[in-house]
Parts: sequence; C-alpha cells; structure tokens
Amino acid sequence: MGKVKIKRKSTLIDMTAMSDVTVLLLTFFMLTSTFLQKEPTTVITPSSVSEIKVPTANVASVLVSPEGKVFIGIAGDADADMADIWGSEATRKQVLEQAASNYKKYTGKDPQITTADLNKFAKINMFGVPMENMHAFLNLSQTKQDEFISDMSNPQVGIPMKEIVYTDADGQKIVTNEFQIWMRAIYNSGNDNLQSAMKSGEGIAVKADRGTPFSTVHQVLDNLQTMKMNRFSVMTALKTEQD
Amino acid sequence: MAQIEQSSGGGKKKKGAQKKMQIHVDFTPMVDMNMLLITFFMLCTTMIKSQTLNISLPSNEKVEAAEQNKAKESEAITLILATERDSQGNVKNGPDGKPLNTIYYYEGKPVVEDADHDGLIDNSNLKVEHFIGNEGGETQGIRNILHNKNKEVLKRIEEQKTKWRNKEISEDEYQALAKKIRNDSTLTRPVVIIKATPEASWESVITALDEMQINQISRYQIDNINQVDSVLILDYLAKNRK
Repeated sequence: MGKVKIKRKSTLIDMTAMSDVTVLLLTFFMLTSTFLQKEPTTVITPSSVSEIKVPTANVASVLVSPEGKVFIGIAGDADADMADIWGSEATRKQVLEQAASNYKKYTGKDPQITTADLNKFAKINMFGVPMENMHAFLNLSQTKQDEFISDMSNPQVGIPMKEIVYTDADGQKIVTNEFQIWMRAIYNSGNDNLQSAMKSGEGIAVKADRGTPFSTVHQVLDNLQTMKMNRFSVMTALKTEQD
Repeated sequence: MAQIEQSSGGGKKKKGAQKKMQIHVDFTPMVDMNMLLITFFMLCTTMIKSQTLNISLPSNEKVEAAEQNKAKESEAITLILATERDSQGNVKNGPDGKPLNTIYYYEGKPVVEDADHDGLIDNSNLKVEHFIGNEGGETQGIRNILHNKNKEVLKRIEEQKTKWRNKEISEDEYQALAKKIRNDSTLTRPVVIIKATPEASWESVITALDEMQINQISRYQIDNINQVDSVLILDYLAKNRK
C-alpha cells in the first residue's frame, strides 16, 4: 500500500487583481480631484438652492471670517497658454505692485515692497495683512506665514477697513481704505478676462460663515457697493433635504 | 517578492527537456502603496464644488427721495431679518448655542401712529414669521406668505413646468418661458425689500435670498435697516413681553 501524499498548498495569494483595482481607483481620484485651497480659516457657507458653480479661474474671492477679518484670494486664468501672461502668479504680481503704489499715494507711507516680495506674493493663494506689515509678512517662511495668518485673535491679521482720507492735487477729498485699494488693484491688474468677470459679477465671490452676523458681512458688501461693484456672487453650499 | 518556482516533475525527467518555470510576483507591497495614495487623494479632494448665488446691490450713491422708484404699496413687502429675543431683550440662543433666526415682515407701508399716546403703536402691521420651508408639500412660514403674494406667477410657471416634465417643451424653452413670466408686468408681482439687523446671521440673509428663488420673485432688493424698522421691532417686543 502506498502512502497517501498530502500535497502542500502554497499560501501565496495572487494580488494582481487587487492591484488592478487600486490602480484604477487611484487614476480616478487623481483625475477628478481638485485640491482644497489653503484658507486662513475654515468657514461653513450657508446653503442655498442655487446651482451656479464657482468659477475656478478669473475670480477674486473675499473671505470673511466669523471674527470679521477679511482675506482676499486671487485666481487668474487656468489656461496653460496664459500662464506667463495672466496666470494666477502673474496677475498677483501686478496686483501687489498696483496696490503698493496706490497705498503709497494715498497714505504717503511706502510699504517697501521689493522684487523678491513680489515673487513670494505670487505664490500665496490667500492673503490678509495690513499693507505696512506686508514686507515683514512675506519675509517669513511659509509655515510661519500660515501660522501667522491663521491666528484670528491677532489684530495684525486681516485687511483693515480703516478709512484713509486723501486730498488730491485739486483739493478733492477721496475716502478709501485698504480693502478698496486691493479690490481696485485687482480690477485694474490689466487682466482683461478677470476684469470682465468682475464686471459681470462672476469674478467677485464673497465667502462667509453661516453664523457670521450680518453687520460683519455688511461692511464688505458696503465697500463693494461704494466701489460700484454692485454685482457679485456669494458662495453657498448645495441645499440638502434636511435644510 | 518574486519567486521562481521550479515545477517538480516527479523525478522522471527527460534529459535536455526545458525546465518549466513559474514566476510569481508578489503584488502586496504595490497594493499597499496604492491604497496609501488613494487614501491621500480621497482626503485631499473636494468632490462637491461650492455653489454661488448672484447678487446685485443697488448703488451706494445717495438718491433723491423724489427720484426713488416707489414700489406700489399693495405690492411691497418688507422682510426684517433678526434674531429671537426674550422678554428682557437679550438674544435667545438655540440648542446649538447659536442665535435663533426670526423674521419680521410688514406689507405696504409701516404703521407708526400712536393716537392714544400709550407709547405703543396702534394696529401695527408688523408680524413675525420663521424660515420653515415645506412640510408635506405645503409651504409654511415666510415661504407661504411669499408664495401667496406671488401666486399668479407661480401658477403660470407651474403650468409650463408640467409641460416640460411631460417633454412637450425642452428645458431651454421652459427656462426662457419662466423668465418671461417672472418679468411679466401685467401680473401682480410682489416687490420684496430685505433688511437685515446687524445681529442677523449671514445664513438668514442667504435663506431670505433663497426664498426669492424658490418663490420665483424677480423684484427684490437688499436695503439698510432704518429707524422706523427698529421702532416697529421694539414696539412688537414691548407688546409681547408677557
């Protein structure tokens, strides 16, 4: 009688199929993803039934934190052909240059923005520091910048809305503030697509938390009205059933 | 990782026959890495893009009172967004610790006469409502009031909507028709003036604007709150102090 041989089975599991699936999923996520933009503070936007999507290019977004701090983010053309002309970075450089020169004109104080500062500013998605601190802020390392700008209790964070009164050569009084200087600079940055988007109202997006008191948001709306930027959009989330 | 197994043919091998090789590549590390990447992308993506709501505000320039286009009294309805207050006038907080939204409204002109001089307005037309929305297909709260104000427009749009649902007209046609109906000046359409008190939440402002869309109201505006409105609210609170 021969002995019954028990065949030893290998414990190897074929992972090829599993690998196929994961690669497929990975491809899907890589293609569909749009990354979350870095923002100084997280806001939960109120919900609405409106179904108009936020544009990804040519938009100046104004973020209002529940504490009343204001930040501005600028996105230029998403088109790769425009990258050197009116991509986000090129547009931002123009904006800072304009804003700095206007700030100098209206207040008489030179914010001392250097070329290195312009290059650093071009990389920042959302900013919100008083102009006089801009140079110091841009000289911080990126992690320090994020830390600085996320501190909502710091009075040096957020674009100030303090009135600047300027009397021009003809003796005419101009009342403005830093927020208006920035918005004007964005409007006049020379990026025609951004300008026309701002004119039609799609280019200005106001984002505020649902719990923010109206008085806080109102100061932003009021400034926009003063600048005759009467059309703009507000960011909302899609309304769900339980809302 | 990768093993080459020689098939053991039981010893009976022909001389010179090629050895059969089976190649196993272990994909486990590859799967590990892919899973890690998937997790990263899943956490970093925003699937839902936020929506926007278009607003156009009136110009900030001072307009002469005579030049203001006065809305017909019967058509005007003023919404005042505020937070709920208790009898002492303190802001009441909801269960989540946030102030509760409430909405005062009056139709036509505000009534501020006090003939009997008791410090309270006689027959104030200020009423209070809430954002409730729909319940069981019936409109409720402020939506119901706006719905009734804009009945004619809504009825006509509903007719077109059924046509569109039955595929009699295309969506573009429906949108164009709906727009035409919304702006049809022969129908009685309300003019809504939205005023927000400083403490009203941003959410309530958006909800109010949303109600305009839901109720297909084409004429509405955001205005600044004035003294008359504050007086009306104070009067309302004084009367309901019990």
